[in-house]
Amino acid sequence: MKIFFKSSFLIILFFAIVLSGCKKVLDINKSPNTPGQEQATPKLVFPSAVMATAAQVGGEYAILGALWGEYATQSAFANQYRTVEQYNLNGLDFEDAYEGMYARALGNYQLIINKAREQHDWNWFLMATVMKAYTAQVLVDLYGEIPFFEALQGSGNLAPKFDDGYTIYKSLLDSIDVALGKDFAASTNTPAGKADLVFPGTGSTDIAADADWITKGNINKWKQFANTLELKMYLRMVNKKPAEAQAGIQKLYSAGANFLTEDAAVRGFKAEPGQDNPMYEQNIQGLNTSTNIRASFTLASFLQAKADPRIVYFYGSANPVSMHQGDYLNTTATYGSANTLVQRATDPVVFISAAESYFLQAEARVRYFAGADAKALYDKGVLAAFTSMGENGAPFIAAGGKYEFPTGSQEQQIEAIIVQKWISFGYGVHYLEGYFERNRTGYPRTSPVYSTESSYVPGQFVVSKNTVLPAGAFPKRIPIPNEERTGNANTPASVPLTTPVWWSL
Amino acid sequence: MLCLTIQVFAQLKTITGRVTNAEGKGISYATVAVKGTSTTVAADENGNFSIQAPPNAVLQFSASGYTSSELNIRDQAFIETRLTAGGALTEVVVTALGQTRSKAKIGYATSSFNSEEINRSSPVNPMDALAGKVPGANISRLGGPNSSTKVILRGYGVIQGGDNQPLYVIDGIPMTDARFGELDLDLLPSEHYDFGQTLADLNPNDIESISVLKGTAATSIYGSQARNGAILITTKRGRGGKLKVEYAGSVNFSMVSKLPDLQETFGQGWDATHGGTYIPENGSWGSKFDARKRVWGSIVDNSQLIKPYVFIDDNVRNFYETAVEANNSISFSGGGENTNYYFSYNNVYSNGVVPTNTDLLSRNGVALRTNSKYNNFTINSSFNYVNRKANAPFTGQGDAAGASMFEDVLQVPTDIKVTDFKDYKNKFFNVDNYFTPYAENPYYILYENRATQTSDRFFGNVDLSYRLTPEFSAQLRAGGDFANARTFAYKAVNAPKPGTWNAGNNPEGAIRKPDDGTVREGSEYIGAINGDFILRYNHSFDKITLEALAGYNYNQEQSRTVLTEITKLLIPGFYNLSNSTIKPNSTDASTKRRSMAAYGQAILGYQEQLYLTLNARNDWSSTLPINNNSFFYPGANLAWIASRTFDLSNTKVSLLKLRAGYGKTGSDPLPYLTAQSLVLGSIPIPFGSVDFPFNGVSSFRSSTQIANESLKPIITSEAEAGIEARFFKNRLGFDVTVYDKRTEGQIFAVPIAPSTGYLTLVKNIGTTQNKGIEVAADVKPVVKKDLTWTVNYTFSKNKNKVLELEGGPDYVRIPTYYNFNAEMRAYPGKPVTAIYAPVPKMTEDGKIIVNPATGLSILSDDKGFYGNADYDFMMGLTNGVAYKNWNLNFSLDYRKGGIMYSGTSELLLFTGNAYVTTYNDRRPFIIPNSVIENGVDANGKPVYVENTTPVLEADYDDYWNHGTNDQFTYKYSFIDRSFLKLRDISLSYRLPVTWASKIRSTGLMLTAYGGNFLLWTPGSNVYIDPEASNLGNDLTSQFGEYRTAPTQFHFGVSLKASF
Repeated sequence: MKIFFKSSFLIILFFAIVLSGCKKVLDINKSPNTPGQEQATPKLVFPSAVMATAAQVGGEYAILGALWGEYATQSAFANQYRTVEQYNLNGLDFEDAYEGMYARALGNYQLIINKAREQHDWNWFLMATVMKAYTAQVLVDLYGEIPFFEALQGSGNLAPKFDDGYTIYKSLLDSIDVALGKDFAASTNTPAGKADLVFPGTGSTDIAADADWITKGNINKWKQFANTLELKMYLRMVNKKPAEAQAGIQKLYSAGANFLTEDAAVRGFKAEPGQDNPMYEQNIQGLNTSTNIRASFTLASFLQAKADPRIVYFYGSANPVSMHQGDYLNTTATYGSANTLVQRATDPVVFISAAESYFLQAEARVRYFAGADAKALYDKGVLAAFTSMGENGAPFIAAGGKYEFPTGSQEQQIEAIIVQKWISFGYGVHYLEGYFERNRTGYPRTSPVYSTESSYVPGQFVVSKNTVLPAGAFPKRIPIPNEERTGNANTPASVPLTTPVWWSL
Repeated sequence: MLCLTIQVFAQLKTITGRVTNAEGKGISYATVAVKGTSTTVAADENGNFSIQAPPNAVLQFSASGYTSSELNIRDQAFIETRLTAGGALTEVVVTALGQTRSKAKIGYATSSFNSEEINRSSPVNPMDALAGKVPGANISRLGGPNSSTKVILRGYGVIQGGDNQPLYVIDGIPMTDARFGELDLDLLPSEHYDFGQTLADLNPNDIESISVLKGTAATSIYGSQARNGAILITTKRGRGGKLKVEYAGSVNFSMVSKLPDLQETFGQGWDATHGGTYIPENGSWGSKFDARKRVWGSIVDNSQLIKPYVFIDDNVRNFYETAVEANNSISFSGGGENTNYYFSYNNVYSNGVVPTNTDLLSRNGVALRTNSKYNNFTINSSFNYVNRKANAPFTGQGDAAGASMFEDVLQVPTDIKVTDFKDYKNKFFNVDNYFTPYAENPYYILYENRATQTSDRFFGNVDLSYRLTPEFSAQLRAGGDFANARTFAYKAVNAPKPGTWNAGNNPEGAIRKPDDGTVREGSEYIGAINGDFILRYNHSFDKITLEALAGYNYNQEQSRTVLTEITKLLIPGFYNLSNSTIKPNSTDASTKRRSMAAYGQAILGYQEQLYLTLNARNDWSSTLPINNNSFFYPGANLAWIASRTFDLSNTKVSLLKLRAGYGKTGSDPLPYLTAQSLVLGSIPIPFGSVDFPFNGVSSFRSSTQIANESLKPIITSEAEAGIEARFFKNRLGFDVTVYDKRTEGQIFAVPIAPSTGYLTLVKNIGTTQNKGIEVAADVKPVVKKDLTWTVNYTFSKNKNKVLELEGGPDYVRIPTYYNFNAEMRAYPGKPVTAIYAPVPKMTEDGKIIVNPATGLSILSDDKGFYGNADYDFMMGLTNGVAYKNWNLNFSLDYRKGGIMYSGTSELLLFTGNAYVTTYNDRRPFIIPNSVIENGVDANGKPVYVENTTPVLEADYDDYWNHGTNDQFTYKYSFIDRSFLKLRDISLSYRLPVTWASKIRSTGLMLTAYGGNFLLWTPGSNVYIDPEASNLGNDLTSQFGEYRTAPTQFHFGVSLKASF
């Protein structure tokens, strides 16, 4: 027994020695595979956040826009987007895009805004504020009501309340105003260089090399982007808050706001997997077929009727074979040769195009400034749209030209602006905006008959052939994804797809 | 001196013989000693021995579980002796920490297998031999050449944040069980490689025994790694005596087992039309077979092929070949007074059922083990090296780089002969003009693409012990397991030439997307080191015995994975990472985990009838928050041999033992979950991603997962109770165990609402319960001099339930590799294997709402419950008949209930190859019990009227297609998991010793065997062997399969010889 006790003592001593070294030996739980959260800086995070917005708005949501904006339609020899074409969406659809918008875009903009505010770095503050507003605005326009004021707090609030779209719009506009009011000459501001994916600084990303960036550089373009976004959002209000829309726009003008004269877009995509345009990556690169979506008769018939050369940009042919919207169950041989919607790996993802900026200004002029300069801005818009698609639009806007700005009523002028704007969204996978603007203005008009009828007027929207909605109805929103619903008890009851979002007709 | 030695030797003679049990079956490793000398030898696994003894010596025979006996050899040269069983009480099992214990003292259930049982049908992976034979164990080979095996003990307890894999222990040292090469760079990999698991590196002929400890009560002293039970493998060791050589060789043939039954009525086409516009379609939605000669396939040089329009029998089966496998092992063992040694070499070479070398396997392994004893000091060592080279085709879905062979074999229309395509460079079957632009020639994939893996593995241990006093000893054991695998895979770049059939010059205008090609190189390393220092103390008091130990454990696991991939190959046929126009895509990940532990155990015995085991362990783990990284857990079990307490000698009862146990195990989290991190800025999107660096800019963003600085370990606690009884002199016995296992505080990446700015939150939540019953019974209906018949039966039923997910979501979706619409969901009150999938929208009174335009149903907003993916129960039946020198063994494995997802079925429904697609002879029909919505009533509630829109002939393909009728087709893609298999059958003949000795052999045995024959499945499963899966070997695999490889049956002959 003696030896037993002696040994017990030895054991205890042994453990005492071994375990005292424990802490150091066991302190190895820092991942060698990922940097720590404390390494985050605006410059490091911003490109990814911008790309997250671009990847959804110019990716999964762009496909929705292409189909619901009647630029393209589901192929009769493929299945990929049949539920979209049927307007048959539920909580399982667009989960990836929704995740991307909140967890990869908005969350990171908020991170940059917080860091930039701490560091009084107002360049980044404005850039992230504008991108956050743009991203949130797209979500409101798609879903109607979204979590906003209580969102993006991580484990601090796992069930953020949903807010109505109008309140969110007002808050976004205020936040842009606040950001625009900051001191852009402050010494605490830092240049973005190439990390600004939207208006990249020239030269190197090195701070010293970009020393003159603040005065010469691109923050002025961000201010234009901010103003143009405000203009777009105020115009969205014309149906439901006309007075506020007017006041907001007049305030912009009286403050001498400059608007975009070039595209606010992410460029630089290459024909490589993972480096290409997101809609191309998703719909062509990643799939085993490149012919999922084909020319829609709605747009093709219009362009054909007008002998608009941009038809080649859209469908690769001056005389494309097109499909009637949603007619995918009709597997005639003709549809086998239907032209596909041309997608290019190198297409930019446009947030707001120069053409769109001009069209927005033209509409504001028509509505609130008695049409002063409206024609000039409209003409600039049409020319910019043609140029972006590699064509010359001058003959079309000339006197007697097919797209000459109408001299008739305000409503006729707005129709001309919106129809031209609809076509312009074919550049830079910007289709989603075409769908939104039709919901706001009702242009292009709705056809009383399906497009196969002889009385069909080219360019008028038709309800998809295989719709599941009540007769004549178009979808006005998409459903909140199930992952939000299951994770957030504050998610309101689902609303039909036909219920308009707050600003919509 | 030399002379003298020879003199001494000359007086001895060699006695050979065999030690058998009452039934005449050899007793493995029985000990034979010459009385009064130090000469001791061990019999081989068949009971054969050879010993040097002087004339008229007395031999002593002993073996665990048997009563020892003595025999005077007189002048005999061959001795056969029978030992009588000493009853189950003397049976010895291996328990945690590699301790050998009398089974009587153990308060929990174990199952043990000896070398002969394991090697009966010459498996490459030792666990394959145990399928259906261990109550409470779900063991299944996943199917496919060189595939892994799934081993799950007592149900799935861990839903997330860990795994359900048992701990494999070799000679007391935990070993890693990795599945190298499984990974791929895609975010949602669509293709799946299975090169097998490192567990299969162990040569089954090197194994002396396997003991399976299923419950936490048995394993809690092992700590976190054994939370899901442990499988203890004891390897063969040298035994004293002269050099002994053992050889085992087998030749094995395999063929594919169950394949889908295809419909035989309709051929190639789409929308109920054969050929014409639909001639390039890869489906069997054409018209009925009419045996007329018709053109088919592409038009090349103004010519087209002609064949009769008839069904092709055994089309898929004929694609596969007979696999041949050779498995050879040789071992040398022996030893002297102080040191014994054992050396073995094993070679496996096989070429699987897939044509070409796509599924080649070559494995070489050596093992060297020594045991030395010097007075009170013993030192044992074991060194093992295995080199393995395996080729494996991928299963699942092809991607932009190239297509999947298994998928493309299945989607050939029913009237087109797959084997015709073998000439894949023929102008009609090549890349340009293969009959369809929607698929690829499977032979092209076989001949042009390749995935190969070479691995090296070293594992071993050194074990030192010193006996301080007869009662007190110390042991130091250290071991390591280091494995590295290099995986190299490529797919050829190709594109249909402009103007050809597949470049769009077909009636559908469909273009086959070019294959970008790929080269992928991966290097994966896993290294584990483990050390134990154990002090043991044994003491007998008056009526009480005490066996106590205290130990310290150090464990470290390290992994490193580097994978690089290129795509868009520049030069065809050149496979190197330099061959691309774009930069390579790489990942680099390493992990390191360390733990330390202190543990103690005490076994108190009372008068050899009551044994109480108490144990406790404290762990310190690196993966827990550094200031809160310690956790403690105890265990206890009690065994009472009632038949020793009460005198039952006048009854038929030979043994009655009752036992009860309770144990807890803590399990640490995976590494790196406690600190918030940034991740590379790449943005995943459906079917792809937008990657950084982008355009010369790189970026990191916030991880979408919220880390947890206060993580706690997962605690598994289990109570079990059992009764073991034997009757009629041990001829009938049963062993029943009931258990209740709870796994608490599981570590989930809980999905949270994206509006929080994150997608998941790491958190300890949820408790799952596995409770069940396990029965093992054995009976010897016939015990005669020359004939014995033994029957073993096992039954197990496990009931799995999620008890709560408090603080988490309503349910947890179990992620699988593929982005399915169907999924397993863990809901409180339901099993973790509950399957949910899209369902049709129904009215309140249960009618199907359809789209008036198409007559097809509408998708419901939420998914519906389809069934449980786990078996209701499992049963095994093993029969052994020994007649003179003949032995016949066979075992049946029956598993009942549960459903599984079949991606094979999904593909066959899509292509119209599936039997069920001939519903109603493919004539128009109205979905029974269907309605359409027709406005709303005064209360705003929808009004439904009877549906009159039929599903047309031309819409059959849409009706059966997941893409267009998801909510309906899942009903046919979930299949019944039940099956009955003749797991293995073997007939052995032991050549008479007189014959064997002519070639100086001490034992020769010939065996013919087969396995996985006679698969029975319910009539509804016309698709696939329900054991097949390519979704891993853990919980996800229970979901089912996605276009995986068929399983196989095999037969072969083996020869075992000892010299």
